[in-house]
Amino acid sequence: MISVKNITKKFGDLTVLRGVDCEIASGEKVAIIGPSGSGKSTLLRCMNLLETPTSGEVWLDDKLISDVDPYLHEEIVAVSATCARSVQAGVASEQAVDEIRKKRSLGKWEGSAYKNAIKEYAAEHGQNINLARRKMGMVFQHFNLFNNKTVIENLTLAPIDLKLKTKEEAEARAMELLNRIGLADKRDEYPSKLSGGQKQRVAIIRALAMDPDVLLFDEPTSALDPEMVGEVLDLMKELANEGMTMVIVTHEMGFAREVADRVLFMDEGHIKEEGSPEELFKNPKDERLKEFLSKVL
Amino acid sequence: MDFFKNIGILLTNSKYMGMLLEGLGKTLLISVFAALLGLLLGTLVAIVAIAKDSKAMKLPKWICKIYVTIIRGTPMALQLFIMAYAIFAIRGFPQEITAIIAFGINSGAYVSESIRAGILSVDIGQTEAGRALGLTNKTTMMKIVIPQAIKNVIPAIGNELIALIKETSIVSMIGMYDLTQAAKVIGAGNNMASYIVPMSVAACFYLAIVYLLTFGIKKLEARLRAGDKR
Ligand SMILES: Nc1ncnc2c1ncn2[C@@H]1O[C@H](COP(=O)(O)OP(=O)(O)OP(=O)(O)O)[C@@H](O)[C@H]1O
Ligand SMILES: [Mg+2]
Repeated sequence: MISVKNITKKFGDLTVLRGVDCEIASGEKVAIIGPSGSGKSTLLRCMNLLETPTSGEVWLDDKLISDVDPYLHEEIVAVSATCARSVQAGVASEQAVDEIRKKRSLGKWEGSAYKNAIKEYAAEHGQNINLARRKMGMVFQHFNLFNNKTVIENLTLAPIDLKLKTKEEAEARAMELLNRIGLADKRDEYPSKLSGGQKQRVAIIRALAMDPDVLLFDEPTSALDPEMVGEVLDLMKELANEGMTMVIVTHEMGFAREVADRVLFMDEGHIKEEGSPEELFKNPKDERLKEFLSKVL
Repeated sequence: MDFFKNIGILLTNSKYMGMLLEGLGKTLLISVFAALLGLLLGTLVAIVAIAKDSKAMKLPKWICKIYVTIIRGTPMALQLFIMAYAIFAIRGFPQEITAIIAFGINSGAYVSESIRAGILSVDIGQTEAGRALGLTNKTTMMKIVIPQAIKNVIPAIGNELIALIKETSIVSMIGMYDLTQAAKVIGAGNNMASYIVPMSVAACFYLAIVYLLTFGIKKLEARLRAGDKR
């Protein structure tokens, strides 16, 4: 469903992701764990392009949603001016392409054939990010409910504005979701009147109101008082059981163990180890993972 | 007391009152249109200033920066003189328009800073939540960010408006007949031959406008905040 291909992310001089590959299959629940600052949130936010990867590509289903990364495509590198120069100097074409990809030596100006190749590739495979985001819900650590909108408006704004549903349809769906989490009586309240746990549950159903194919969670319980963590995790477990595809950055190891099909351990901008929760928690191989688990378990 | 007797004389003298009201009218005319121009310019400049850095935005951003720097770094009176005696030094060009443009341009520079700060004060998470739902940048701005920014910005814009109204009193320096100038003319030797009386009445007019404006802004603020106490 989501493919992340060799992405890197730099913030100025700081390199946060150093070449990450990962695939999220339909129906899969993937937990991302790792120490603070290891790049978990950044990876998650690259999946829906809230952060633009510095290089690499992000695909949703069969559509490219990030920019084209020329280094991932031999046929594009092959028509670059740099490649043409190497070939003219007597290097075999294939070898020239390999070398450019290894050294990442494409320049700013690579000629119109190269430019067109990128454009054509994007036209053939690319999808507008706003369309892609409708299919990828995101739940934030700090909820980010719209402060100037009531609960029901929070739930219906996007479906109505994007003309996915009529006002009546959107409100009916919103009420169904509100009933499900037992907050139907809060429909006309502003978010400031809700508790943290209520806010996060509303944020989750706001994402669900778009009927997404996948939900991305960034530490959904980290900003909550301990007594409210349970209600949010319970809702997430329900969604997991219903077969929703979920990617969850979390510090809740118990939850990861119980719900995830696969756990990714991130450290220093790499996925250092991945596997089923049993493998990863019982038999960690990576030294940094062992150290991390000894601290958090 | 002479003072109060003279106030009575002024208030009942239709010639003097006519002069004062004409001046008041001009002050309000300049203030209202300059404020509108300032809000328009200020919003535009703020939007350019917070737009993402890109090649296409480089020149507009640079122009806006220069504009704000020059306007905020030079005296209002000088800006007014430049407008009146250099840029619009055309015989018969309406002075009101010169003044409206000069004050509007001046106010725009200050307003833009307030609006920019107001937009930036809205939590970035609000924008991210909108974009993550697939809303466009424009929709997110219009429906989520700007309504919240307006609330944050109203007090600052209100202060700017009040400052603008008072500042327009310097139009007498280019020979315009506003409320302040009217008071001065009435006080001169060939009229009442006493400055304190008309000046006091003019002061009361200014105070009344400022008071009404302050009151209106408070009301507006309260109404906008009614929904979502945070
Ligand atoms: N917008 C940004 N600008 C500059 N630096 C950033 C930005 N976002 C993240 N970083 C930096 O990137 C690094 C990784 O951040 P990230 O949020 O991905 O870590 P994380 O694994 O989610 O950590 P945590 O568990 O604390 O949430 C950190 O050093 C952070 O300071
Ligand atoms: Mg994080």
